[in-house]
Amino acid sequence: MSTANTTAATATPIFPSFEQVYQGLAGQIGMLREMAPQPTKSDEKRLQGAVETLIEETNADEAVWLESCIHCGQCTNACHYFQATGEAKYAPMRKMDLYRRVYQREISPMRWWHRLITQPVKLSDFEQAKELIYDSCSECGRCTMVCPMGIDTASLVHHMRSAMVAAELVPPELAALRMEQKQMGTVFGSSPDSLRKMVETIREKAGIEVPLDKEQAEVMVLSSAVDLVANGNGLLATAKIMNHLGVDWTICSDGFESANFGLLSGDMSLWKKQVDPIIAAAQRVQAKILVIAECGHAYPALRWNPMLSSGGLPFEMMYMSEFLGKQAKAGNLHLTPFDGKVTFHDPCKTGRRGGAFDEPRAVLAAMDADLVEMPANKEYNWCCGGGAGIFLLEDATRLRDESFKIKIREVNESGAESVVVSCASCRLNFESGRQKNHWDKQVHSLVELVADHLIEDESTANAQARGAVA
Amino acid sequence: MSLLEFARGPAIHAALIIMAAGIALRIIGVLALTRGADLSRPRDAFGNFKGYRTVFSRAWPSGEFTTTTRYQTVVAYIFHIATLLVVVGIVPHIEFITSLTGLAWPALPNFVGVALGTVALASLIALITRRLAKPAVYNSTVGDYVTWIIVALPLLTGLMAFAHVGLRYETMLALHILSSALLFAYMPFSKLMHAFWFIFSRAQSGLAYAHKGVRI
Repeated sequence: MSTANTTAATATPIFPSFEQVYQGLAGQIGMLREMAPQPTKSDEKRLQGAVETLIEETNADEAVWLESCIHCGQCTNACHYFQATGEAKYAPMRKMDLYRRVYQREISPMRWWHRLITQPVKLSDFEQAKELIYDSCSECGRCTMVCPMGIDTASLVHHMRSAMVAAELVPPELAALRMEQKQMGTVFGSSPDSLRKMVETIREKAGIEVPLDKEQAEVMVLSSAVDLVANGNGLLATAKIMNHLGVDWTICSDGFESANFGLLSGDMSLWKKQVDPIIAAAQRVQAKILVIAECGHAYPALRWNPMLSSGGLPFEMMYMSEFLGKQAKAGNLHLTPFDGKVTFHDPCKTGRRGGAFDEPRAVLAAMDADLVEMPANKEYNWCCGGGAGIFLLEDATRLRDESFKIKIREVNESGAESVVVSCASCRLNFESGRQKNHWDKQVHSLVELVADHLIEDESTANAQARGAVA
Repeated sequence: MSLLEFARGPAIHAALIIMAAGIALRIIGVLALTRGADLSRPRDAFGNFKGYRTVFSRAWPSGEFTTTTRYQTVVAYIFHIATLLVVVGIVPHIEFITSLTGLAWPALPNFVGVALGTVALASLIALITRRLAKPAVYNSTVGDYVTWIIVALPLLTGLMAFAHVGLRYETMLALHILSSALLFAYMPFSKLMHAFWFIFSRAQSGLAYAHKGVRI
């Protein structure tokens, strides 16, 4: 059990527990299906759009990967969705079959040959691939770790998602959220107004100041829809930590959303529409550091997106766990000890596909936590089963629930009593799995755990006051 | 022109030309495609170069995957090494290569050649057996089976010709050369091209992950 400090916030909870957050969100997600847009284009146009998207996005890297597969079967057992079901169709190699057919007929230097021996691709082929591209691939990259050719299947699946957008075959939940973010600029209704309201609530109820829209700040922090419409504790914890550290920080109401349903659905024009205001806001406030909230896919959307020229930007982008880890390594985080064995679940997007392994562990070390690793950890970590938007998909419920059992087994084998995650999607999926399986482990968010373990003393009170004045 | 003369002459020469031209077309055609630049800032400035080690490190699967990959990896290595030694190590093959290039080197004793050929064929059978036994893992296509047959035929006919089993020796030898010609000509159209792709594919992934500070 954690030894949380008794502050005003924890004594009388202002916000619902994460258990309630999960149940509330599950209800909202259920309604998304009805809000999903229907296809508007003719079948020919949808097929043509999908094929043209793949042609457009295929460079030498993708071509080499598509050329290299020898059907050796090694990737199959590395995939949690295959492990969970034993069904051949979930083998990672199958997830690039349709892409390869398009490549062979349209782009390959041997296309004259493939046009002789293969049938043209049809829209129904894309319809059939939908389950493989969305429901059963969290783009976690574990198959790349075993492939003798090193094929990056996850990035090929991502190109397929872009093709699926053109084919109007995005699953209803992602399609609805994509539409909302495209037309209203919100996710689950998390507008600048809901941000202001949340900031107000945190100030009134918890007495914690969130410096919204400062003209200049060293650190610009992002939030996320999950924090704003459901889990207020996320933003509250962030504010407590930033104030505790005495950091000159702000949140910008014109660029605060980490969630990017452009990236998740495969719509890269929406990806850009979401990312540009964040980058503009960070430059305007002359930030040195942009901290991405605990929202796994926001990390590849911002920090690692190959289309975002971050080398030329005047600020550094880092994930919340990286920011906290750097502060811990610098000795700035003074935390009360964490009791009991704990394990850390590396979200695919920040771990294997992001490289932020050490920092979250440094944070746990700063709590003197007894950190135990799962049998497969870091680069080899098993995905929780809910990544890349899959947590939202009703059609993927069975795949998600079955593959989560791998995670349960891994955590149990580690001997840990609790799991720390640093990704809202992972956390929601863990909460879902915990409730469905009556699992006896506790699941913590790294940022909330740190906030609960801050040592409140004279100097932090001063720092908080400084934060409030600023 | 006898069957053997046809096999030794036009058939094998045409096959080699198709192989060379096809491999060049396929490799150059792919590598000439544009490369998408990764504009994001690398985790550390020279870290990307570490990615090249994946070309070598991926020669053996990580311990994490030992139980699921051991059979395939060990048998595949035996197959590749035995086949390669037979292809370049026995007297008639060296004589053929000498006739094309003028290069020559000492040959393996005949009994070693036969043993290696047998090992190669046996390992190939071991691989297809597992492929057939675990359809869910391998997701085999027609191409996988066709390729297996085209690879197995030269081994089988070669061993039969050497052991004077089956048809008349000259006919068996002609069939061996023809099946080899089929293998050469088929190569650029098939997954046998992995003989070249593996270097590029591993390097690309190694670099992409090293960019993020991840060692794969």
